[in-house]
Amino acid sequence: MEFHKLSALEIAEGVKKGSWTASEVLSAHLERIKIFDGQINSVVTLSEESAHRDAKETDKAVAEGKDPGPLAGVPFLVKDNFCTDGIRTTCCSKMLSDWIPDYDATAVKRMKDAGAVLMGKTNMDEFAMGSTTESSIFGPTLNPRDFNRVPGGSSGGSAAAVAAGFCPIALGSDTGGSVRQPSAFCGVQGMKPSYGQISRYGIVAYASSLDQVGPITRNTGDMAAAMDVLAGPDPNDTTCDAYERPSFSQAAAEGIKGKKIAVLTGYDAESMDRPLIEAIEKAAGYCRSAGAEIVEAELPITMKHAVACYYMVALGDASSKLACFDGMRYGHHADGRSLVEMYKRSRNQGFGKEVRKRILIGTCILTRGYYENYYVPATKVRQMIADEYAELFKGVDALICPISPALPYKKGLVEEDPVRIYLGDAFSSIANLAGLPSISLNVGFTEEGLPTNVQLMGPRFGDAGLLGLAHVIENKAGSPPIADIEKKGGCRE
Amino acid sequence: MKRESVIGLEIHLQLKTKTKLFCSCSSDYIGATPNTNVCPVCLAVPGTLPILNDHAVELGVKIGLGLHCSICDNTRFHRKHYFYADLPKAYQITQYEHPIAVGGYVDIFADGKEKRIRIHHLHLEEDAGKLVHPTADGRLTGASYSLVDYNRGGMPLSEIVSEPDMNSAEEAIAYITQIRQLARYLEVSDGEMESGSLRVDVNVSLSNPDGSLGTRVEIKNVNSLRSIERALEYEIARQNKVLDEGGHLVQETRLWDDVAGVTRSMRSKEGERDYRYYVEMDLAPISAGPEYVRKIRESLPEMPWEKLERFTREYSISREESLQLTEQKETADYFEACVSEGAPAAKCANWMRMEVQRILRDLSIGINDFPVPPAELGKLIIKVEKRELSNTQAKDVLAVMVEKKVSLKEAVRLCGISDGRITGPALEEVIRKIFASEQEAVETIKSGNDKKGAKVKFLQGLVMRETRGSADPAEVASLVNCMLN
Repeated sequence: MEFHKLSALEIAEGVKKGSWTASEVLSAHLERIKIFDGQINSVVTLSEESAHRDAKETDKAVAEGKDPGPLAGVPFLVKDNFCTDGIRTTCCSKMLSDWIPDYDATAVKRMKDAGAVLMGKTNMDEFAMGSTTESSIFGPTLNPRDFNRVPGGSSGGSAAAVAAGFCPIALGSDTGGSVRQPSAFCGVQGMKPSYGQISRYGIVAYASSLDQVGPITRNTGDMAAAMDVLAGPDPNDTTCDAYERPSFSQAAAEGIKGKKIAVLTGYDAESMDRPLIEAIEKAAGYCRSAGAEIVEAELPITMKHAVACYYMVALGDASSKLACFDGMRYGHHADGRSLVEMYKRSRNQGFGKEVRKRILIGTCILTRGYYENYYVPATKVRQMIADEYAELFKGVDALICPISPALPYKKGLVEEDPVRIYLGDAFSSIANLAGLPSISLNVGFTEEGLPTNVQLMGPRFGDAGLLGLAHVIENKAGSPPIADIEKKGGCRE
Repeated sequence: MKRESVIGLEIHLQLKTKTKLFCSCSSDYIGATPNTNVCPVCLAVPGTLPILNDHAVELGVKIGLGLHCSICDNTRFHRKHYFYADLPKAYQITQYEHPIAVGGYVDIFADGKEKRIRIHHLHLEEDAGKLVHPTADGRLTGASYSLVDYNRGGMPLSEIVSEPDMNSAEEAIAYITQIRQLARYLEVSDGEMESGSLRVDVNVSLSNPDGSLGTRVEIKNVNSLRSIERALEYEIARQNKVLDEGGHLVQETRLWDDVAGVTRSMRSKEGERDYRYYVEMDLAPISAGPEYVRKIRESLPEMPWEKLERFTREYSISREESLQLTEQKETADYFEACVSEGAPAAKCANWMRMEVQRILRDLSIGINDFPVPPAELGKLIIKVEKRELSNTQAKDVLAVMVEKKVSLKEAVRLCGISDGRITGPALEEVIRKIFASEQEAVETIKSGNDKKGAKVKFLQGLVMRETRGSADPAEVASLVNCMLN
């Protein structure tokens, strides 16, 4: 049995029926990680002991006739900025290289409670600051579809692991595209739900008003199943909305007949990689043939200001949320002759270059004078962007647009042309600014085997409907295969 | 022209909630072993988020309403950034641009007149931890290391910022006292400066001859009403002296040194930090809509100044007496319970202010710990009114009630008074006293020179007067005769 080829729902069904055990499924996945992760470096910590224990628990529940949960025996991985009880949580930074939390993030706990088995932690850009997963202290992750390219970031490890067949579901965090862009680069499906859909409790924060947990899977059925488990109110996070969630799985099966779907126009399509423009046309065509009406939409304010606005908001917040890392109570500590010197040394040594850069910029943005000229206007523009979308969704059910302007970057581009990489967030960061649900959906591969994809966006808390749209497109385009990681160089079929 | 001193105060009140402002740690931290009253949230463990304590908001709204402020709906918290060892997140969550209560006032009575002090605003914020320096005097200077205790970190505070409406130390003290009384009446805070549940920062300047405001100086480290008074007097004198000598003042923060009795410069305005305030996105806006505010307003008890006014009017007692009786809500409640037994208000007031106060002072206890229930005191006062007890007797009875913690009835019995009458040993005691002061008459009788029995009658009359008619005349006659033989 090639367990790694099964979807999460197939695994759970088999575990529940007794066709196989959670322990068998786990062992097969751990084995695959051990053999092949050396190629791509997507996993930074494996917690085999606790995983085996959890799998046995699930098997015991099945044997005793108890409900083992909707994700029974589904092995999963989480990005290394999710707090995991007893498992090192480093944010792939020297700052937290030996930090072991004593609690599970709510998202992790919900997955475990649903019967899923946590195997370990995945690689990421340090403190989730990056789009290439090259700034990790554990070294870069490679794209399992093409080892010469980056997997995207910052949840590059999670996306690469799912693409490589190390697990059917991995969790990432998305502040400006960190779940969706790597999902696009690695040829898997990634979702950033509406802000307030999933609890942020236990996620080491990047930016409070933008961060959201998101599932990465190889098909939308698993994604909806994960959403059913992950979404819900949490007394530990008051920004997580209290509304009663619909069944995402059910909604995903509903179809889009009669729906009105907008395709974004009015942006600089010429500067984009051609296959990604074609991907949008392809997706729109699928929607039309499924009975939806396709219209065009322009979002002038958003397209002009989103990236600048995003970096103002995100970096300002990052400088604040990362201030707690002072070497006093946890994390890297360096001695100094005074308190200030201790802070300076601890933080300079503990944080990498990109993180220091972003903290400095963010501190500057919030400093008197700059605050009024940069941060305050950015928050106003942010509201205008949200309003522009609210207006759009009065008339249409969803928007199709690019998620990234480029196919996966070659390794090292971040050093050569960092600004190009920042600008690559133009499409993905909008959903975070406006708090909207967004899915990065694979719709095929180029001749060279590079994944092509689209971004689907919907109104706030319209996550279920958006999953329905994704499901329809996926049915036509096919869900992406596992990367042919056995052959170095990846999938070139 | 004389310069006028202009004083504004910032009062931090620790709110009387069960738990901290953003986590479920207990608010009962005083005396706890350092760093035991903490949790992942108040230690800023990565991944944790603040959860607003609704009760703290309610208490903030209460005191805001008590200060005649407008309560604002959908106000937000901000983050105030600075690196210091007592602040785990490296920012304090506080209200900045949008405080929950704005634009109120409180009336004070000082320098013999009433005066209205305007309140600029009231906002909610969390407290920081505490640094402990292992030096003999507990100061940082000379310490080779410092320890930090986060037990207090995250305690809920409301900061009340006045307008610069006070012009003397006496007014400042009256203002603080009034706020403290209000906080206690509303059961919003203990308001104890000794334990730090009420802290004051003082701002003082001298107005220029043209009436414009002078350079403002902030004084910190004033930990008692007395030190506030002394610090203000010192600082006003210092500023006057500087200006008299042709110097000029700098806007700065000065620390009060209670031992030396001086203020010392801590930091000047030029060195003022930029706290990089901005909206705290981990917390939703604070909901305090009209309906919510209406409910709290309706739940408010009678305000101290309302009570004062009512006492004066309803009980026909002096303002001075009313002030004393209403200073603490508990005292006022006791008084009213006493009166409701049917005892005359003026007499109750007198008993409360004299006898009860004396006993409380002697025993060093508060009215809450006074062992005599108000109804019993009321009955005692009625007995005096009905002349069943003399004043002296009543005081004795009260003393017994306090000492032996017994009922009025039992105390009367123990004092040898039955049926409200003075009898037996107690009566003998009165007679002995009369005999002692009227030795000449006693001698006259004993030597047989009181032929007509006039002296005996005289002595009996004195006894009856002393006992205010609460002794049986027959028993008095018989005892007097008996004791003369």
